[in-house]
Amino acid sequence: MNVQTLKNKFGSINYGQLLLFVLIAWFIIAFLIFPNLNVYQEIFFKNGSFSLDAVEKLLSSKRAMNSLTNSFILAVSLMITVNVVGIALVLLTEYFDIKGAKILKLGFFTTLLYHGVVVASSYKFAYGENGLVTNVLANLFPSMDRGWFHGYWAVLFVMTFACTSNHILFLGNAIRKVDYQTVEAARGMGAGAFYILWRVVLPVLKPTIFALTILTFLTGLGAMSAPLILGGPEFQTIAPMILTFSKSQTSKDLAALLALVLGLATIILLTIMIQFEKRGNYMSVSKVKSALVKQKINNKFANVVVHIIGYVLFLIYITPVALILLFSFTDAKSISTSTITWDSFTLENYARLFTSMSALKPYLVSVLYAAAGSIGVVALALYASRILHKYKNSKLALALEYSLLIPWILPSTLIAIGLVMAFNIPRLIVGNTVLTGTHWIVILGYVIIHIPFTMRMVKASFFSLDNNLEDAARNMGARPFYTFRRVLLPIVLPSTLAVLALNFIKILDDYDLTVFLYHPVYQTLGVVIKNSTDAEAGIIARAMTLVYSVVLMVMSGITMYFVYGRGSKEK
Amino acid sequence: MVSALITFKDIQIHFGSFHAIKNFNLEIKEGEFFTFLGPSGCGKTTILRTLAGFISPSGGNIFLKDKDITHVPIEKRGIGMVFQNYALFPTMTVYENIAFGMKVKKAARSAIDADVRDIARKVDLKEEQLFKKVSELSGGQQQRVAIARALVLKPSILALDEPLSNLDAKLRVQLRNELKELQKQFGITTIYVTHDQEEALTLSDRIAVFNSGNLEQVGTPYEIYNHSRTEFVCNFIGDINKIDPELIESSPLKAHVPPGKVAYIRNEKVNLTPIPGDDVVRLKAKIVDREYYGLYSKYVLEMGGGSRMKTIEKENGQIGFEVGTETDVYIRLADIMQYDRTERGN
Repeated sequence: MNVQTLKNKFGSINYGQLLLFVLIAWFIIAFLIFPNLNVYQEIFFKNGSFSLDAVEKLLSSKRAMNSLTNSFILAVSLMITVNVVGIALVLLTEYFDIKGAKILKLGFFTTLLYHGVVVASSYKFAYGENGLVTNVLANLFPSMDRGWFHGYWAVLFVMTFACTSNHILFLGNAIRKVDYQTVEAARGMGAGAFYILWRVVLPVLKPTIFALTILTFLTGLGAMSAPLILGGPEFQTIAPMILTFSKSQTSKDLAALLALVLGLATIILLTIMIQFEKRGNYMSVSKVKSALVKQKINNKFANVVVHIIGYVLFLIYITPVALILLFSFTDAKSISTSTITWDSFTLENYARLFTSMSALKPYLVSVLYAAAGSIGVVALALYASRILHKYKNSKLALALEYSLLIPWILPSTLIAIGLVMAFNIPRLIVGNTVLTGTHWIVILGYVIIHIPFTMRMVKASFFSLDNNLEDAARNMGARPFYTFRRVLLPIVLPSTLAVLALNFIKILDDYDLTVFLYHPVYQTLGVVIKNSTDAEAGIIARAMTLVYSVVLMVMSGITMYFVYGRGSKEK
Repeated sequence: MVSALITFKDIQIHFGSFHAIKNFNLEIKEGEFFTFLGPSGCGKTTILRTLAGFISPSGGNIFLKDKDITHVPIEKRGIGMVFQNYALFPTMTVYENIAFGMKVKKAARSAIDADVRDIARKVDLKEEQLFKKVSELSGGQQQRVAIARALVLKPSILALDEPLSNLDAKLRVQLRNELKELQKQFGITTIYVTHDQEEALTLSDRIAVFNSGNLEQVGTPYEIYNHSRTEFVCNFIGDINKIDPELIESSPLKAHVPPGKVAYIRNEKVNLTPIPGDDVVRLKAKIVDREYYGLYSKYVLEMGGGSRMKTIEKENGQIGFEVGTETDVYIRLADIMQYDRTERGN
C-alpha cells in the first residue's frame, strides 16, 4: 500500500460515522452482552466463589420442578393443537371452496388484533366464572362448576386459538404460492382432493409447518399471560414462576436459573430449526406459475363436515372479541354479571377514558413507551443494517450481526431478569447510575426484544437495494450520509415504517416483559389489564379493561390493514 | 496521430488472494467509442470500475491525458457512469434524477434547471416526462434518463456497463442505434462493456477482447472478426468451423496447414457455389441438414472422413440445396485462420 493510498484511506474516515460506531458497540456491550453474563455470575458465583447452590435449590423446589414439567407438557400439547387448528384455518380460507370463506377469514384473523394478556383476559371475560359462555352452559347444565375454566385445559384452549396468527400469516402465504399446475397435473393423473392435499400440497408446506411448530413450542415453553391468568395454582409454568421468584431477594437466583433453563431450551430448538431450514425450501420448478384455485369437496358428507368445522372455529374465534366489544358499551352491572338488557347500554366507559386522568394514564404511558421503544429499535436497526450492507462479508459486520441476534436466542423473561439484575446497582458502563425501576430500563427492554424482528425486516430491505444506486450517487459526487439520506432511506422507508407500526402495536399491550421492568407509578396497559383479571379487581377497572382492549384492537386492526391488507392489494 | 486520452499502465488488481487482473496495459483515444468485450468473469467490468474509481488497483497507474488519476476520488475523475440496470433512484422523478449530481455540487437552482432541461432535450426526453417517476418510463426512456444523468455533469468520458443486457432482443437493437446516435451527437469518449459480440461489432470504433483477466486483442471490429489474433478471439466472435485435422490430412488443405496448427474458417466463408481466385480449394461434401431463416439458410455439411462444417447461403428466391445432395464446397485459403496448438486439448 503506497503513501497515496494510505492518505486516501485515512482521509476518507468520517468522524460522525465513527461516533455512531462507538455508540452501537457500547449499546451491544452494555445491554446485550453484560446483563446476560451478569446473570451467570449471579447464579453461579456467590461471595466470589463458584457455587451450585441455585441448582440444588431448583432441584429441591417442588413448585419450580412442577413448573418446568408443566411448561414442557404445555409446549408439546400446543405443538399438536396449534398445528391442527392452524392448518385447518389455512385450508378453510385458502384451499377449500367453503361458502362464506371471507366471513370465516375475518373471524380467524381476529388473533392478529390482540395478543398475550389481552387475549387471556378476553377469554377469561367470556369463559370465566361470570362470563357469558359460562352463563349459557350453566343454564344447560345447572349443576356445573361455574369456575370450570382454569388449569391446563383452559390454558391449552386459549393458547391454541391465540397462537394461530403465525399460521394465518406465514402458512397462508406459503399455500398461496403453491403452484396450481402441480395440483392440476395430479388431478389429471386421477388423484382425489384429499389425496392431492396430502401428497402434493402439504409436502410443499412442510418447511413452513416445521418452522411454525418450533415457534409454537417456544411460545408454549415461555408462556406468561395465559398460565398466569387462567392456570390457577394447579398449573403454574416457568415464566410466571420466574416472575414470582424474582420478586423476592432470596429466590432471585432461582428466577435467574429458571430463565437460563428456558434460554437453553430456546437455543437448542432454534439450532435445530436453523439446521432444518438449511436443507432449504422446495423451489418450484415451473416456468410459469399459476394461482391456486380453490378446491371443491365433491363428497357431500365430507363437505358438510368441513363446513361445520369452519363455522364452529369461527364461533370460537369471534366470541371473545364480540363480547369484549359488546360489553365495553354496557354498564358495570352488566359487565360483572354478563347479562344485558336494553338499559345496560352506555358510553360511560369510553367517556371515562377522556375525562378521567387515572383512566387515561395507562393508555398514555403505554403510547409513550411504545413510541420511544419502536422509534429506538428502528433507528438502531436502520443504522446497523446500513453497516451490515456496507461492510458485508467483513468480520466486523459478522460480529455486529451475531451480537444483535442475542435477543433472538433468549426468551424475553431472561432478558428482563438480566437487565433488572445488572442495573439494580450503579454501573460504570451506564454512567454509574441505577437503571432498574426507571423509564430507561423499560424502553431499553422494548428495544432489545424487538431487535431481531426489526433487524430481519430492515436488513432485508437494505439487502434488496440495488448496489449500483450507491455507486451511481458516489459517481455523481454524493457523500455517504447524503446518499443514505436522499437515495437509500427513501427506498427503505415504507417497509421500515411498517415495521415501526408493528413494533408499536406489539409494545402497546406488552405484559410479559413489562411486568419485570415497569415503574410502579407508571403502569402500562398490559399491567393494568392483567391486574383487572385478579379476583380483587374493582368493577371500574374491569370496565376500563374492556375499553382498553377495544381501543387496542382497533389500533391493531388499522395497523394490520396498512401493513398487510393495503400492501397486498397494491401488489 | 491522436494522442491517448486514457492510459492503463501495468494495472494489477487483487480481490483478497485472487489475482484478477495481471499487468493490464491499454490506450484509449479521445472521441473513441471503445468496447470491452468478453465472457462474464473476464475482468472487463473490473477494469471499467477501476477507471471510474470504484476499485483501487493494487499496482500500476491510470492516466487521463498526462494526469495520474489512479488515486483521485471517484467524483473528481470526470467520468459519467451508466449502470447495467441504470441505477435510477426510484423514489425520485426523472428531473430529480438528472439534477442529483448538480445538487450535490451545490450548483445554483437556475443553472440546474437550465442544464437539466437542455440535456433532456438533447437525449429526446419530453418536458412532461421530466416530472414522472422513473418507474413510469419505458426501458428506452430509462436509458435516456441514465445517460442524461451522466452527461449533465459534462464528463470527459462516458462509461457504460452492459446497459442493454437486461432488455429484450428488439429493444436492444433499437437502443443500440439510439446510443450510437447520442455518442456521435456529443462526440464524447465512450467506454462500453458488453459480452454481446454483435453489440461490440456494430457500435465500436475499436474493441478490446478480454479473457480471464487478460487482453487477447485490441483492434477495429473488422480486424477482430477477420484477423482474430488468438484462437479464443476467433471462437468468441461470430460462428466458426474448426476444420477437422483428418480432413486437412486427406485433402488439398494439407499443403497449406502445417502440422502443429489448428485451422478455423468462418461459416459464411464456406461456399456452396464456385468463387473466383487462384487460392480456392474445392472439397467434397454432403448436405445433411438445412435450417431455413427466410433471408438465408444454414446448412450442415458432412465432409470427407465424417467431420462436419456449417455454412450460410443467402436465399435468392430459388429453391436451395436439398438435404442429401452431394455437392462441392469452395474455400479460399486466405480465409483460413490458423493458430498454434495449445495445451487446452487442441
